[in-house]
Order: sequence, then structure tokens, then C-alpha cells
Amino acid sequence: MKRILAASLALLAVVALAALAGRTQTASATPQQSASLVGTGATFPFPLISKWIPAVDSALGIKVTYTGTGSGAGIAQITARTVDFGASDAPLSPDQLAACKGCVVIPWALAGMAIMYNVPGLSKRLVLDGPVLSNIYLGNITTWNDAAIRKLNPGVTLPSTKITPAYRSDGSGSTYAYTNYLSAVSPQWKSKVGSGTSVNFPAGTGARGSAGVAGIVRSTEGAIGYADAAYSIANKIPFALIKNRAGGNASPGVRGVSAALCEVPARVTNLDQLKIVDPSAKCGKKAYPISTFTYVIVPTSSGAKAATLRKFIYWAVTAGQKFGPPLYFVPLTKSVDAFVYREIKKIQS
Amino acid sequence: MTTFEHAAPEVDSDLRRHGIRLGDLLFKGIAILASLGASVLLVLIAWQIFDLAWPAIQSFGLSFIWTEAWDPVKNQFGALIFIYGTVVTAGIALLIATPLSIAIALFLTEIAPRRVAAPIATMVELLAAIPSVVLGLWGILVFGPWVRDNLEPWIQATPLGALPVFSGDPSQSGIFVAALVLTIMIIPITSAICRELFIRVPQELTDGALALGSTRWEAIRGVMFAYAAPGIVAAVLLGLGRAFGEAIAVNQTIGNRNAIPTSWFEPGDSLGSKIASEYVGATSVEQASSILYLAAILMVISLVTNLLAQFIVVRFERARRAV
Repeated sequence: MKRILAASLALLAVVALAALAGRTQTASATPQQSASLVGTGATFPFPLISKWIPAVDSALGIKVTYTGTGSGAGIAQITARTVDFGASDAPLSPDQLAACKGCVVIPWALAGMAIMYNVPGLSKRLVLDGPVLSNIYLGNITTWNDAAIRKLNPGVTLPSTKITPAYRSDGSGSTYAYTNYLSAVSPQWKSKVGSGTSVNFPAGTGARGSAGVAGIVRSTEGAIGYADAAYSIANKIPFALIKNRAGGNASPGVRGVSAALCEVPARVTNLDQLKIVDPSAKCGKKAYPISTFTYVIVPTSSGAKAATLRKFIYWAVTAGQKFGPPLYFVPLTKSVDAFVYREIKKIQS
Repeated sequence: MTTFEHAAPEVDSDLRRHGIRLGDLLFKGIAILASLGASVLLVLIAWQIFDLAWPAIQSFGLSFIWTEAWDPVKNQFGALIFIYGTVVTAGIALLIATPLSIAIALFLTEIAPRRVAAPIATMVELLAAIPSVVLGLWGILVFGPWVRDNLEPWIQATPLGALPVFSGDPSQSGIFVAALVLTIMIIPITSAICRELFIRVPQELTDGALALGSTRWEAIRGVMFAYAAPGIVAAVLLGLGRAFGEAIAVNQTIGNRNAIPTSWFEPGDSLGSKIASEYVGATSVEQASSILYLAAILMVISLVTNLLAQFIVVRFERARRAV
């Protein structure tokens, strides 16, 4: 009995080893058969990238693997060159760019951030603006019937419920986009808190992921939170209209976000020109003031993968953009495209 | 005896015929390798964590431990907020869980009839089988709102409500909610160990106490508790270690604010929770290494708790033998 057991165990071990050896053999053979790319980083563009993966495989035969590990991890891993491309919602800081040793940062998707709220019994969609949002998140405005909110919502009866601001506890591109906006509209926010993928929120409750923030908003009367527009719309959580500089009450849909692009110069030469938060009055009443680009980061010397990377990113910013609107991602405009093409050309072996 | 030792080489050379001996040898080798591997792993992990945290240790020094700051934008980092959150949540959890666990264990060993005790014991132990992320989710969606609407207002209505730690608005996520979730997580551990300890108290001892005229409670207090004391302390410390180290369930319920709140109803953060939420998204070397510094602190706290548990068990054991 024992002998049979031992023999079968030995057999199992041999089979397992053989299978493992076979696996590694096929795994090492795959890249030679077809082009493959591995990327990691931001979770925000993940819904869009996961639509791209099967499409780019059938169109160009490029097999892309992408894991949503967060912008920080994307930057860290491309800096360490453990992946073929990284993705981040925040453009690299000068320090990070230097550390990455010859990386190009290419915008490849764009979307708006929705401000979700839970105030039952309102007769109309809530209207908010930059100063009010920053005062809510600074802890200066604490109840929904505050005079500043009432002024933005004439004819709406607001309850005296306490406001619970919710924010992302994990480092995230949503936080970057939102705090970037608050810094643009509020000098107090800029000096006290600043902008980044994770900041020191002076008031409110943190939660993990967009789902966590939405969870707090859903279960707490009087809560307010931010998430990408797609998330808020897909989960049917009411979102606020944001008063822009033109005085319009803008909605974070595809049209509102594209309108905010009006200030991007016809010929973009560097990333700083891609400023789209809080656009000036000339962008019109539809322009939604809280949106963000999301970026792909690639080393300029990418060795054997360079050609495949160029093909994939070119496809993503052209043919790939049509997958955006159903997910509330806004297609890139012509002015951005010219810049993107020039950056793609810098990817060389 | 000596003849046997002389015969040993002969036996060794004849290993093939004595298949069992070969097995023994193999087993011994594997056992030594495994235990050596585990100890080496501990040292390696500790070394790596400190190595990765080195940039922060170098720039912030030991004062990092008592600095109350966490601002990734301004690159100001300190651990006090999270040490406070960790110690207070685990402390509250321990304070509630210890008497409850002992009571559960006593009920199961002394009071409940065996037919009732067995299924209840299984149920309590199964509580530990709930994955912490599921427990945390329940904490966000069900337990937190309930605590906010019922338990916290009730506490504020009692004389306890006068304490500053129970002041302020009830909240569905905060230090207190996280502590209660931790309580639920450690009760099965401590109660299972306590039950095991009480079962092992020799029947003659309690019988003796009862025969000498002590009441059931006196027998429990004087004999069972005295006999099981080191084990109970170790069980409690084991629960404490669990509470210190828990990241996900705390992360989901503590509210994640970088501040030491006056009221326990308000959001704060703990070491494990901060590491879980921010490491992946860390964008600067300072931030990443500061998070690893937090990890090093957490590791030291956990190791010290464990060592303390072992030390206490040894001391009690020695004291008991002396008696």
C-alpha cells in the first residue's frame, strides 16, 4: 500500500515537473511567434484598455497584457524597466522624469470626474462650483443648507443635513484630477493641501477605490464624493452639475469634457499646455471644469519592442479612441494628436 | 550500549535494505531545511524591509515615530497618527474581546450541555473563517451604518458619552467601528484557545476545589483561571498580534484620515491600513520609503508582542512550577 502511494507520488512529481518544463518552454517561445506587450499602472483607464486589448489583437496581432496596479506602481515599474509600458493619470514630475531616464509621456485618453452626492428629496439636480467644493473638502462648509450652496441652487429646498466629504484613501488619478481642480480654483486649497495622487485631506472620510467612495456616498445621507464620470453614471449615483467660468452649469459627459479642450493650443509642444481644469469663459457654458488626461509612459530606447510599442500606441490614439465615448472617455482632439504622433516617433530601439 | 554505537556504521552502509532509515534521514534533512529556511526567511524579510525603508529612516530619523504628519504633497511624513490608530483600535478590541472570549469559553466548557456546546463552538470558530475583506465589506455596508445609527447614539446617551473620546457626531467609519470589526475578528481566536485551555484543566483539581466546599464560580476563579492564566495571556496577546497586523478590514472601516481625532467616532488610520492603501499609489521615493518605514514599525511592534507572549508564558510556567 505504502509502496503504491510512494510510487504514485513520485509519478505525480515527475509529471508536474515535466508539465512545468513544457510550460516555460512554450512561454519563452510565444514572444517570437507574435508581438506582445506588458504594461501596468493606472486603474482609471482600465475599462478602456480592456476594450483595446482584444481589438488590437485582432487588428494588428499585438497581444497586450495590462494590470491596473495604480499610477504610482506604473511609474515605478517603467522606471525599473520591468514592463514595456507604464500608465499614469498624473504626468510625471520633473524628478520622476529624470529618474525614468529617457521616457516619453503620451496622453492617450481623457475623461471627466463626476461629483456624486446623496441628498434625498431634491427637486432638481444639484449645482456646485469650485469655491463651494473646496470649502466643503476643507471643512469650512459643513451643512447642505449653507448660504453658498443655496445661492447656487435657487428654488431648491436644501436640508440641514451634515455634509460628509468622501475621498480616495489609495493613491489615485481621480484624486489627482480632483485636487488639481481644487488647487486651480482655491488659493487656500493650493497652499494648505495642494494636488497629487494622494493628499492630506483635512476633512471627511476615506475609502478604497471608486467603489469605496461610492459606497460611502450611497450609505451616508449628506455624503459627497468624486469618481470618474463612467463610474458614477454606470452605477446610477446622482452627480452634480458644476458651474464653470462662463457661468454655465456643466455636466461631465463627453460633450462637456471636449468643450473644456478649447484652450489647448493648435500645436501642442509640451505637456504643460494640456491644462484642461477650470477652463476660461471662452470655452463656453458647456465646458466641464474637472477632467483629466491619462498617460502612457514609454522608454525612448525600447529595444526589440520599439516597433510594436509604436504600432500599439498609434492604434490606441487613433482607431482605439472610438471605444471611448460609450465608457465616457473623450476622444483626443487634432491639436493633441499632432503632439502625440511626434512623441510616438521618439520611441526607438 | 557501546556495542550498538560500534554497530552504527554497519547499519548506515546497509541503508538500502533498511528503507525506513533512509526515510528517516530524508525526513530529518527536510525538517532541518524547512526550519532553517523559515528562520532565514524572517531575517531576510526584516532586512529587506529596513533596507527599502532606509531613505526615510535616513532623512526623518527616529523622530518619524512621534511626528504627527502625513502629507505626500509637501513630503512631510511621520508615524504617530498611524501608531495611535493601530494601538487604540487594537486596544479597544482587546478590552471588549477578552472578557467575551473567556465568557464564551467558560460557557462552552462549564455551563452548556455537550449537545449544545459542540455546534456553538464550531460556529464561533467559523467566524474566524470569514475572509477579512468580506468582514470589512460588511463593516462598510451593514455594520458601520448600524453602529452610526444605533450603538454610537446609545453610548452618547450613557454617562460614557461625557468622555471626549465618545463626543462628536456618530460616523459609520472611524476608529470605533474599526475596533469593533477587529473585536469580531479576534474573538474566535482567543475564545478557541481559552476553551482548549479550560478543557485541559485536570478534572481532579476542580473536583478537589468543589469537594473542599468552594462554589462553582470560586472553583472557576481559583483553580481554572489560575491553571490557565499563562495560556489566557498568550491567547490575548495572540489576538492582539492579529489586531495589530490586520490591514484590509481596518482599511475599509477606519475612515482613512491623516489625523489623530479627539473622538473615537471620527476617522483615523492605522499602520496596516495606511500601508495597504498608499503603497501601490506612492509616487515619490520619500513616500514609498516612508510607507516602508511604517511597515518596519509595524513589524517591530508585532515581533515584540509575540516575544512578550512567549516570555510571559515561560515566566508563568516557571512560577507555577515553583508553587
